[in-house]
Amino acid sequence: MNVKTSSLSPLGVYHEGMEWNAVEKVIYERRSIRGFKKEPLSDGMIRRILESGRFSPSAGNMQPWRFIVIKSPEMLAELEKDAVKMAKFFMFFIDYTRGGAIRRLLTKQLAKLSIRFMPNELHVVPFALLSQIAQGKTKVFHGAPTLILLVEDKRGVSCPATDIGICGQNMVLTAHSLGAGTCWIGLIKLCMYYPKWRKKFGIKYPYALNNCLAVGWQKPKADGPVPREAQIVEWYDRGLHDAPRTEKQGG
Amino acid sequence: MQKQKYTFLDRLIIPDYDTPRGVSSGNLIFDKAKCRECGVCVTLCPGGCLITDKVTKMDLLTGKVKGGKYGLPRVDKTKRGATLCIACYDCGAACPHDAIRIETHFNPKRHFKRLTQTSEMIFPKRY
Repeated sequence: MNVKTSSLSPLGVYHEGMEWNAVEKVIYERRSIRGFKKEPLSDGMIRRILESGRFSPSAGNMQPWRFIVIKSPEMLAELEKDAVKMAKFFMFFIDYTRGGAIRRLLTKQLAKLSIRFMPNELHVVPFALLSQIAQGKTKVFHGAPTLILLVEDKRGVSCPATDIGICGQNMVLTAHSLGAGTCWIGLIKLCMYYPKWRKKFGIKYPYALNNCLAVGWQKPKADGPVPREAQIVEWYDRGLHDAPRTEKQGG
Repeated sequence: MQKQKYTFLDRLIIPDYDTPRGVSSGNLIFDKAKCRECGVCVTLCPGGCLITDKVTKMDLLTGKVKGGKYGLPRVDKTKRGATLCIACYDCGAACPHDAIRIETHFNPKRHFKRLTQTSEMIFPKRY
């Protein structure tokens, strides 16, 4: 299914229905990689990936990021262990999808109350993932040989979180264009509940750590295109007071 | 074609995460004729919710089982009937034998319902 490199369109031109160009190929075939080889990328390659982060656009050119590269296998194992421990702790109180009816009755109320305070962290998807992690059915960092922590400087212009996203996406696309694999992992937040990790990485004002990238060689190779939901897009292309025209993007 | 309405009631009601009433989750169809039971999809599934009768994701990751055929994969379900599939289709992109087809998209209901996405799953289109 992947587009062959020989049939790619050149960069810098567009005509309707043309083949993807090299940049588009990387964008559409990038998948979040959750299986890695044990040997890490070379330091040179990691530097090359970091370099694309250094040259990301940011509001007011404030570059509100700080990168931490973790390659130490002991530290990775320790992070994994602590993240799982924290997942188990939280899920003991709020996972109502396991256990009997009485447990469900008690924990469900607490879960629904917590969701109101943490709607993003306890959205359905991370909730199910945390539950699976607590049950030992999946890993937090997917056994990646390298983690790149994307530390956010909260004093950035406008919305520093957006800058972090752009910076990370630059690095991810660079990594995939080099044949490596990456996965965004927000569950590094679990480790931030431990004072020891906050201290180790220096996560105090003005810094916050919400995301990291798992980086390594793909095993198995999993890059390829996937289907996604068609999206409704509003187009304002008539008069000032006319209703927008809606169009189905992709369909 | 209109986007979904998001009412005040929707905002108030937090859906159950493990029932088909609360989330309409993804579902995958495995082509028995094409599947060679290699286990690639099981290793890759983000939540470890693809399983076969013989192995789970952790078995493959920890090297508990080695080689051979792992059995036809299926999507794990919660006790109350929702699947844990988020319709990312990483499995399908990685499948070396093109044996996986996605049936439904992932859409939690009420508070978390998706408003501008339709239920049609479409591959990237070259406009």
